[in-house]
Amino acid sequence: MPRKFPNYLLFAAAVAILLAGLKLAGWMPLLAQRDLMRKYKSVEDVKAELSIREIYVPSYFPQNLSWPPSAVLAQGKPFPALIMEFGQTEGTSAGLVISQSLSDTFRTDGKIRMAQLKEKVRYPLKGRDSTLEVGTCSSGEPCSRVSWKEGNTHITVMARSTPLELIKVAESMLR
Amino acid sequence: MSLSHFFSSLAGLYATQAFFHSLVAGAVVEIAILSFRLGSPFVRQRLLLIAIVFPAFSFPLYQLADPARGSVYFRMGALFDSSRWIHMELPGPVPLGAVLVIIFLVTTIVFLAQELLPILRHTFASRKDGPSIEVREGGDPAVREALEALPVEKPESHILEDEDPVIFSSTGKKPSIYLSSGLLKVLRGEELQAALAHEIAHILRSRRPFLLPVFFLRIVMFFNPVVLVEFRRSVQEDEKICDEMAASFTKKPLDLAGALRKLYLGGEPLPGAGTKDGRKVADRIEEYSHRLNIESRISRLEKGPASGPGGEWPVFLLTLGAVIVINYFIV
Repeated sequence: MPRKFPNYLLFAAAVAILLAGLKLAGWMPLLAQRDLMRKYKSVEDVKAELSIREIYVPSYFPQNLSWPPSAVLAQGKPFPALIMEFGQTEGTSAGLVISQSLSDTFRTDGKIRMAQLKEKVRYPLKGRDSTLEVGTCSSGEPCSRVSWKEGNTHITVMARSTPLELIKVAESMLR
Repeated sequence: MSLSHFFSSLAGLYATQAFFHSLVAGAVVEIAILSFRLGSPFVRQRLLLIAIVFPAFSFPLYQLADPARGSVYFRMGALFDSSRWIHMELPGPVPLGAVLVIIFLVTTIVFLAQELLPILRHTFASRKDGPSIEVREGGDPAVREALEALPVEKPESHILEDEDPVIFSSTGKKPSIYLSSGLLKVLRGEELQAALAHEIAHILRSRRPFLLPVFFLRIVMFFNPVVLVEFRRSVQEDEKICDEMAASFTKKPLDLAGALRKLYLGGEPLPGAGTKDGRKVADRIEEYSHRLNIESRISRLEKGPASGPGGEWPVFLLTLGAVIVINYFIV
């Protein structure tokens, strides 16, 4: 039996209501619990609101990146975690993403996505055992990522740059 | 392993997303059934299978298509991020995820107790002991006469010497219909023919065992309460499909309705009705839902068949498409 336009319209309207309901349901926990992952205005706000004891910020900063962070995301539950994004001075895309977390399952890929991994090596970072990955982003530009553990904190620094620049940034985060 | 670790592990992510994906799929399927006023059990069953089959594959397929789907950025932009609810704290502080784990555990127990163990017990018992009720030699002339008039291949029939009105079929290489001597006393000739036609429909459908692979996927989803409900609904739709087939063989749907009424609605309520004992209440709920299902089948047969199979593929594809797209953004 051929279906009529009003049936399709009703279906579309009901699905739209379902989508709105899902969006609302996804947003409601943020009202009830303040320390779930959300955006903050600055790193200082994170320090004030969440119990993240130490925040690792680089002292060396390449000229092609803009300060302060273009976005700061953080959570206190289920484990403390923080992401800082830095935009490029030319262009709108993120040039550097620094994340720290108490869990190794915390994933921050997406803002800078390595399309092709060319090399993955262990690299001594100021006496820490780190993993350095070098490759290209989807646009073909060089991408690199370094990750290591500082006490209980897992730190990952990812940049649209050569590994040399990335390591300078990462080393400047450590005393 | 803490709850937080479980929910961020692959098994935890699979279970959680399968649950929410089946919930959303079930909702979209229900919307399609209501919006398009789908009455045909063929079409309804096909749609219900989306909510059973799709969640078994959705998480791995989505992750293959987009490995970054599990990242913080994707979750923040998603339509619904289950981790927000899971990590919300109840007084204690116990995360709300503990409630979800309890739901999974209860569903697993229900699945084991009501579905898997009875099947295993039945399989084991029938292999070991064979039929435990006496079978009448030579069959019954009334059954032979009722079968003769049906325009389909006739299976073997066996009469069980039992006063309870019972009818069922066995499939496999040598399909047979078993009916009790008690049933022959209760049903009129046309009603008996309608009941036999219904069992023949089950035998014919078992030649293309549609629900068997679905049941294996349902086993994979043993923890999922939505899949439990949708699978049972799908089995009920299968009964309605067989009713329609039986009505098309006999051209007398009212006789099948009469047979159903006599076999399932004629009895007295369960003894001990009204007691507050938990087991009795569970029995009453089961009895009540069974009666509702039988009444719905009778009502369908009395109203006449709904639109037949075919011509509903656009609705099926639209529903499946909506389920795939929406669930991609449910993490």
